[in-house]
Amino acid sequence: MATSVGRLFTAASTIEEAMAARRQGAAVLAGGTWMMRDPRRGVDLPEAVVALHRIPALSKVEIGSDHVVIGAAVTHAVLGRELHGAAGFEGLVAAAEGAANPGIRRVATVGGNLCALDFAAADLAPVLLVCEATVELETFKGPKLLGISDFLKDRHTLLAEAIVTRIHLRRDLVASAHIRLPLRKAGDYPVAIVALGVDKDKRCRIAVGSVEPVARRWTALEQAMRAGPASALDPERAAELALEHNDFQGRDGKEAEGWYRRQVLPPLVKRGVAALLKTGGLA
Amino acid sequence: MTVTFQLNGEDCRFDGDPMTPLVDILRQERFLTGTKAVCREGFCGACTVHVDDEAVPSCLKPVGLVHGCAVTTIEGMSSGNQALHPLQVNFEAADAVQCGMCFPGMVMSLSAFVRDNPHASRPEIKAAMVGNICRCTGYERIVDAVAECLDQARKAGQLVGGIHV
Ligand SMILES: Cc1cc2nc3c(=O)[nH]c(=O)nc-3n(C[C@H](O)[C@H](O)[C@H](O)COP(=O)(O)OP(=O)(O)OC[C@H]3O[C@@H](n4cnc5c(N)ncnc54)[C@H](O)[C@@H]3O)c2cc1C
Ligand code: FES
Ligand code: FES
Repeated sequence: MATSVGRLFTAASTIEEAMAARRQGAAVLAGGTWMMRDPRRGVDLPEAVVALHRIPALSKVEIGSDHVVIGAAVTHAVLGRELHGAAGFEGLVAAAEGAANPGIRRVATVGGNLCALDFAAADLAPVLLVCEATVELETFKGPKLLGISDFLKDRHTLLAEAIVTRIHLRRDLVASAHIRLPLRKAGDYPVAIVALGVDKDKRCRIAVGSVEPVARRWTALEQAMRAGPASALDPERAAELALEHNDFQGRDGKEAEGWYRRQVLPPLVKRGVAALLKTGGLA
Repeated sequence: MTVTFQLNGEDCRFDGDPMTPLVDILRQERFLTGTKAVCREGFCGACTVHVDDEAVPSCLKPVGLVHGCAVTTIEGMSSGNQALHPLQVNFEAADAVQCGMCFPGMVMSLSAFVRDNPHASRPEIKAAMVGNICRCTGYERIVDAVAECLDQARKAGQLVGGIHV
């Protein structure tokens, strides 16, 4: 463990060392692509940080026959590479390979993407909602497992006393897709993100990111699609249902106003269903 | 805190704030001003360097994270009396460089890309460049030069930065 005087910098080599530093008040430093821009947002860098990059247990992706475990310090680039070709994870791969730009993707981690508080446009959030991911935390009181939806809602409180260590995924999707709308082809945060997945019983899961402050499942649309015949997996029909069941309150932001974020959802659903139908699992 | 790392093949030691962006140490302490600090937000790519052979923005890299790593900057790609990297040769031959502000970053991003992707297509070259913004060239000449570099290496059965193509 390397610790500095002045600003305290701890490069932890185990989760226990990282938690010890957390208990002393150190903030978690992953890739730094969010935190290093804090001064530009008028926020001082933390007086003490604990870096996770030397903890081997947090830097690997384990792929089992019915389960995938992603370490919180895995970068977007590694995630995309490791899951490439894994059936059902097309959406997660697209999110990891489509966010930001190549240089950032080599550095920015899964944990950092989910723990950047007040970041509404995180690409991994909606697709992990569709995967019904479980977030594993190490808290001051011990380990804790939590559904991704609850984690996203409560992360402000949770992260005051915790480190995200791993993300657990079941392999129960046969196909998934991740559709994002940036204003330019690259470099922008997406205006809106729609992630979709289909399970073995052809039930569709849909989540939306960047439209509201926190990503969430689109349950009204999921229910409407389940109520209809299996042909609801038709892009045009899905877009009609999305228009009818659009219950989002768009947030106003630098890239776009709220009404626009909300309005682009039906065409994104249409693209998403078309992408789902092209994946191996449904083709 | 003391941070030690390899910088262009030589030992480098930094004593100070471990959250200092690597780009500032390169430019202000080591006078390696080829690496540019333009946006300081990860968007433009002008500050790209190699850390353990990966092309990453140095403006968002706290120096504490490079402890024990090997850092290469544009100055480390070739010193004055050595041959240029084949990509640099092609940029020069295609007259692709205009004001030059973006080029150290372009070379660092794309040299790692050609090393790892010897059979890259034109769209793949473009996808690799999305984090490197150029305000002068309109990009097509840069893409031409990268494609030409890969083509030459393939024809000659040569290495571009270590990988046989
Ligand atoms: C140019 C640029 C473009 C971008 N474009 C996109 C984009 O298109 N889509 C997108 O989704 N994102 C985008 N981002 C944001 C980027 O994805 C996030 O900055 C990144 O995922 C954060 O990861 P990091 O590892 O760098 O986190 P850090 O900056 O290290 O940390 C971010 C926050 O999370 C906390 N944290 C990190 N890991 C943990 C953990 N394991 N447990 C508890 N807390 C933790 C830190 O304390 C900090 O508060 C972009 C960023 C840049 C610079
Ligand atoms: S200065 Fe680092 S990406 Fe622009
Ligand atoms: S040559 Fe001027 S910015 Fe690229």
